[in-house]
Amino acid sequence: MSSIERQNAGPKSRPATRTQPMFHRVLQADPQDVRQALTDLRARFTPAVDADAMGRLELVLAEVMNNVAEHAAAPGAGSGSMHLCVIMQEGGLSCAITDDGGKLPADCLKPRNLPALDPLDLPEGGFGWFLIQGLTQSLCYYREDHRNCLAFTVPYQLSGPISG
Amino acid sequence: MPTLIINETEAQLVVTVDETRIDAAIATRFKDRLREIVLRGRKPVRLDMSRVDFMDSSGLGAMIAVRKALPESLPLVLEGLTPNVERVFRLTRMDSVFEIRPATTPQA
Repeated sequence: MSSIERQNAGPKSRPATRTQPMFHRVLQADPQDVRQALTDLRARFTPAVDADAMGRLELVLAEVMNNVAEHAAAPGAGSGSMHLCVIMQEGGLSCAITDDGGKLPADCLKPRNLPALDPLDLPEGGFGWFLIQGLTQSLCYYREDHRNCLAFTVPYQLSGPISG
Repeated sequence: MPTLIINETEAQLVVTVDETRIDAAIATRFKDRLREIVLRGRKPVRLDMSRVDFMDSSGLGAMIAVRKALPESLPLVLEGLTPNVERVFRLTRMDSVFEIRPATTPQA
């Protein structure tokens, strides 16, 4: 057995190199840069990720990053940039978004229902965190010094209460 | 400016959304432009969405605002939703508010 084989031996031996795509980007917290990042992300993960999972990933990331652009990176609050990282794991795509804007209100992470569907006065917003919560697993947030860190997984296959 | 192709007949207004994305980058302009078109027309509206392959909640909000700007008696029919767009309507239950048709139907 060569030394390389020995290193890779054992019950959990892994291939020496990973060839799955990943994505990392530092972008300005504005909707145009978010759009560009998502377009590039889709190109990077196609065809390794199927269209359904890709669509859910793109929707969740759009909601999260547009929230950052709208709220956290307001003028005067931080650098106005954010970091996005997406890697492929066994069961899904693991994502992390960080920014140095204002703190995320605790309400965002509390379990959400859809905004009341009053047919005479339909809601035009309030869907973002509902979609984020419904389409992700292991959603977690922490504040580290002056940075917001949000992490979650978008599963390849759906088995949750909302399918999508 | 979001590109909307208007085809007006006696009976209805057919608007083709010639954009691949209705997202936060264009949602407000999209809403203003489409609202202006449907309010000027005062006719039943068919919206061809088959070229749109991504929509987020700000795009959905724009669609809802346009629906609310129209009198309830005037239909706003959405046609040709791609899977990513259909998902947003379905998950937010807005598929119960809009009339959604699978594909372009022969013109009456």
